[in-house]
Amino acid sequence: MIDQRLAQEFLKSPKGVKLLHCIQCGTCSGSCPLAGCMDHAPRELFALLRDGDMQAVLTSNTPWYCVSCYQCMVRCPQQIPVTDIMYLLKQMAAERGLSPAGHKLPDLYRAFAREIEAHGRVSEALVMARYGIRHPLDMLGKASLGLKLLARRRLELIPRNIHSRASLTLHANRPECKKKA
Amino acid sequence: MQKKGLTYGFFPGCAYQTAAGYRESVGAVNRHIGIELVELSDWNCCGATSVFSLNQDDALTLTGRLFAMAEAQGHEQILTVCNACYTTLRKAGQMLAESPTDLARVNEGLSQEGLRLSRLLPVRHYLEVLYEDIPAAAWSAARPAYISRVKVAAYYGCQLTRPWADLDHAERPSLLDRFFSRLGFQAVDHSARTVCCGASHALPYEKDCRPMIRRIVEEARRRGAHFISTLCPLCQFNLDSLQKPSDVLPIPVPYFSQLAGLALGISPQKLGFGKLLISAESVIAKVA
Repeated sequence: MIDQRLAQEFLKSPKGVKLLHCIQCGTCSGSCPLAGCMDHAPRELFALLRDGDMQAVLTSNTPWYCVSCYQCMVRCPQQIPVTDIMYLLKQMAAERGLSPAGHKLPDLYRAFAREIEAHGRVSEALVMARYGIRHPLDMLGKASLGLKLLARRRLELIPRNIHSRASLTLHANRPECKKKA
Repeated sequence: MQKKGLTYGFFPGCAYQTAAGYRESVGAVNRHIGIELVELSDWNCCGATSVFSLNQDDALTLTGRLFAMAEAQGHEQILTVCNACYTTLRKAGQMLAESPTDLARVNEGLSQEGLRLSRLLPVRHYLEVLYEDIPAAAWSAARPAYISRVKVAAYYGCQLTRPWADLDHAERPSLLDRFFSRLGFQAVDHSARTVCCGASHALPYEKDCRPMIRRIVEEARRRGAHFISTLCPLCQFNLDSLQKPSDVLPIPVPYFSQLAGLALGISPQKLGFGKLLISAESVIAKVA
């Protein structure tokens, strides 16, 4: 169970405090290209947050469906940094080992972060391989695309190592961040 | 070949290497107009939206290392060719400028590599450089006649103009359209310039993202565009790979640098056109 004081703390943080200006107009939800996939469209998520229901907020799939297009953010009549708030909520959920059941983006992002820590640079094919271990069906569907990319010499199958990686130890790859809710 | 001594610190980003003809065309265009890109040595991935979604300290560490390396290698600005790199670097730069605590923490980590970040260099997109730093006349010297018959739908994606709204209008940008007009193409008016392509969600949630791709492609088709042209590797990949297989006439999606190369009279082969999934050959043959 999430401590409900978390919501109050969040609403006092530099970006979270701006949610107190939300007028629930729904411009964010109306602007979001993936609102239809979310369990709570952004306007609703913010209502839950202001209500103090941090358990619902941090296990919601909404922030993970946010694709960072910033459409809501540039349109918000109250200048609320909606996309930035979605990032903060994803970080809070990830740090607590919470992620919405079955959502695939945390796995994709972690595959990406592990590839960075291991090599410094990212080869898309190797990120896909890491992600594919958990989601083999997604990879199977991409087999013909993979062949086309291979034929065009667009798949990199060798890791891209940089020389100095001393400062690239990532918190996101530590065990407490890998747990599922 | 002209030499103008225009030199930039270059952060290519991870997707550039395998992107469909981006590297080939940027290289060819640069040789023609006299730009030199000096790649940051030992650069790391910027983390893009992935790392910012998991841990902010990590995101600032990765980007902080890039700023510090550019500074240590004597650059005055950081040039990117990817919208995600562009916004990730600018976003992190803004956060580091506003938070001395974060800056101190990043520097503590960087000290293990003998790096120190003291100056946040400006971040620029390659499009901005081609439009603002290169005189308009440079593009018309060897222009083939057929270029004026080619209709292009300029597609900006999200993270060039948002959330910034300073380089151009956040939702109705015109910079790429103006660039295509300068190159001699017909830039068609359309309503999908900054409609999201689905970005990283297109792999795990392809079905949900297909309508977003359709929205862009159908709009370009209605406007009679021969090409949809992009300036971001992820936008290009999604638009090139997710047009419906049942589409009788899918629209090719070359990079803006590939079209700039055509306008300079460079052959499609040298511009990496062969790496596009949807071939542009028949379109070029039809109008040329």
